[in-house]
Amino acid sequence: MGELRAVTYKITQHAGYSVVHLKGDVDLSTSPIARKLILECIEAKHSVLVDLSEVAYIDSSGVASLVEGYQLAKTNGVEFGLVNVSQAALDVLQLARLDTVFPIHASLDDLSKVMR
Amino acid sequence: MRQYAEKLGRATVSGLEELGYALSLFVESFYWIFFGYRRGQSVSIAATFKQMMQVGVAAIPISAALSFAVGIMLAIQGIHTLKAFGAESQVVVGIALSVTREFAPLIIGILIAGRSGSAIAARVGTMQVSQEIDALQVIGISPVRYLVAPALLAMMVMVPTLTFFADIVGMLGGAFFSVLELNISMEAYVDRTIKALTVDDILQGIWKSIVFAIIIAVVGFINGFSVTGGAEGVGKATTRSVVQAISLIIVADMAFTFYLNH
Amino acid sequence: MTTTKKISSEPVIEVQDLVAHYGSREVLHGINLSIHDGEIMVIMGGSGSGKSTVLRHMLGLNTPSSGAVKLLGQDITRITSKEIDILRRNIGVSFQGGALFNSMTVGENIILPLREHTQLDEKTMQIMCRMKLELVSLAGFEDLMPAQLSGGMVKRAALARAIIMDPKLLFFDEPSAGLDPVVSAELDELILRIRQAMKTTIVVVTHELDSTFRIADRITVLDEGNVLMVGTVDEVRNSKNKRIMDLLGRRVREIKIDAEEYLNRLTGEQVRETG
Repeated sequence: MGELRAVTYKITQHAGYSVVHLKGDVDLSTSPIARKLILECIEAKHSVLVDLSEVAYIDSSGVASLVEGYQLAKTNGVEFGLVNVSQAALDVLQLARLDTVFPIHASLDDLSKVMR
Repeated sequence: MRQYAEKLGRATVSGLEELGYALSLFVESFYWIFFGYRRGQSVSIAATFKQMMQVGVAAIPISAALSFAVGIMLAIQGIHTLKAFGAESQVVVGIALSVTREFAPLIIGILIAGRSGSAIAARVGTMQVSQEIDALQVIGISPVRYLVAPALLAMMVMVPTLTFFADIVGMLGGAFFSVLELNISMEAYVDRTIKALTVDDILQGIWKSIVFAIIIAVVGFINGFSVTGGAEGVGKATTRSVVQAISLIIVADMAFTFYLNH
Repeated sequence: MTTTKKISSEPVIEVQDLVAHYGSREVLHGINLSIHDGEIMVIMGGSGSGKSTVLRHMLGLNTPSSGAVKLLGQDITRITSKEIDILRRNIGVSFQGGALFNSMTVGENIILPLREHTQLDEKTMQIMCRMKLELVSLAGFEDLMPAQLSGGMVKRAALARAIIMDPKLLFFDEPSAGLDPVVSAELDELILRIRQAMKTTIVVVTHELDSTFRIADRITVLDEGNVLMVGTVDEVRNSKNKRIMDLLGRRVREIKIDAEEYLNRLTGEQVRETG
C-alpha cells in the first residue's frame, strides 16, 4: 500500500462498448489505476463495461471507483455496466446495496440479459 | 531515616523518568519534523498554522496589555528608586535592558503557560480519556507526529515572536510613563533606548523564550498523556501542567540569566 | 479473496504465553489464543477478567512482560514501529466509546485513515466514506460533529471509520455497551454482514451474553487473567464448569440467610462486636 502497484488493465472493444478488463486484486493500491482508465473512457464518450471475471478481490476503493464511473457515464450520456461479476465481488456490492444500482450483465455474449 | 531515603530515591527515579520522557518527546517530535516525509508521514503544515494562530495570534491583545503594564510598572519603580541617586533619567536604560533581557520573555512565558500550556494538557488529557489517543495509534498515526510536533513547532515560533512584540510594547509602556513624568520628548527617549540596547540584549530574551516554549509544550503534553481517571484527571493534569511549566520557566530563567551574565 | 480459502486453517491472530503486569501486579498469567481467518471470536469475561488488557495487547497499545502476539504472521512485540504502522493498515478497531476525534466532522473522522495512508483521489475517498455511512445507516451524517450524535450513532460512525480501509482484522471493544437491546441487535447483524461480505476476521471483547451467542463462532472465556475455556457457542453453553455457569447466570447463587447474623448486619451490631 502507499505507493501504486504497477498493473495494466486490458481494454477491448465489444458491440460498441469499451470493455475494461480488471484483474487480480482491485484494492487501495491498484484501484486508482482502474479509476483513471474507466473515467478516461467515459470522458471520451465511450460506453463502458467493466469485466470483473478475473477479479479475485475488490475492496471499497474499487467499488467507489465504479460508482464514480457510473455517475460520470450518466452525466455524459453514455452507458455503463458490469459484466461477469464473481460471487466475491457480488458480496461486496451487495453489502453496499449497489447490486441494485449498477446494470449487471451475465456475460459479454448476451448483454441484453441484465441480472440484478 | 531509611523511609526518607527510599522516598527520595523513588522521587528521583520518577523525576528522572519524566525528564527522560520529556527528552524523548522532544527528540521524537524533531524526528518527525525532519524525517517524517521519508515515512510518508509529514508533520501537517495546516495543523502547525492552526496552532500558531491559537498560541500566537490570538494572544496578541493580552500580550500587549500585559507588557504595556509591565513597562509602566518598571518606569514607576525605576524612577522612584533612581530618584534617591538623582539619576532618574537613567531609567530609560534600565527599562530597555530589563524588558528585553528579563521581563518580556518571562511575562510571555508565564502567559502562554497559563493560556496554551493548560489548553494542551486539557485537550490531550480529554483525548486520552476518550481513547482518541489509542485510536490515533491503531490507525497508525503517531500521536507525537500528529499532536506534539505541530504544537511544539508553533510554540517555538510564536513564543519568541510574541516576546519580541512584548519587547517593543513593554518599552513603549515605559516610555509612556517616563515621558509624562520626566518631561522628556518621545524622540529623545527612543534615541536613548536605541543607544542603550545591543542586539545581544534582545537575543538573550529571544533565546530564553525559545527554551520557555519547549518547556510549556513538553510539560503540557506529558501531563496530558499521563491522564487517568476521567474528567477529574483532566482537571488535575491541567492545573499540574501550569504550575510545573511556570516553576520550570522561572528556574530556567534564573539559570539562564546566571549563565549569560557570568 | 480466493486465496483465503487455502490458508483458512492458519491462525491470523496468535497470542502465545502472554503475561502482563500493571505496576507490580500480574494481570494476565500466560494467555494462549489462536484465531482463524474469517472467524468471529468473542472474548468473554466479567470485569477484572483481563479481557480489555488482552485486547490492548493485541492492538499493540500495551507492551507485554513476556509472550508473543502475532497478527497476520508478524509478532508485534518484536517488529519495528514502521512495520507495525504498515501492519495497522490491515487492522480496524471500534473502541468502546467510539473514540471519534471531537475536533473533526464525522466524515473527516472516517476519511482520516485514508488521508494518512493512501493516495486515493478526494472524490474516491468521499464516495468510500458515504458507502460506509450507508452501511452503518448513517447516510447524510458526514458533516455533523461527533458531539451532535447519540451514543448508538457514535458507535456506528466509529465502526464506519474502523472498516474504511477494508481491514483484514476487525476488533470491537464492548460493541453493545450503553446501547438499547434493539440497537445492539442491529449492530450484531451488521458485524455478521461485514464478515460475510468482506471475509474479515473479527474479535469482539464483551460481557454481553445475548450478543455473544448471536455472533460468535467460538468463544474464549477469561477469568482472573487465565483462559478458562475456548469453545463453540454450544460448548460454552453446556459447560459444567462452575465459574462459566456463574458467568452465564444459569446458576443462581444460593444465599442462606442466618436470621441472627442478618439482623446484626442490618443494625450494625456485628460491626460493634468485632471492631
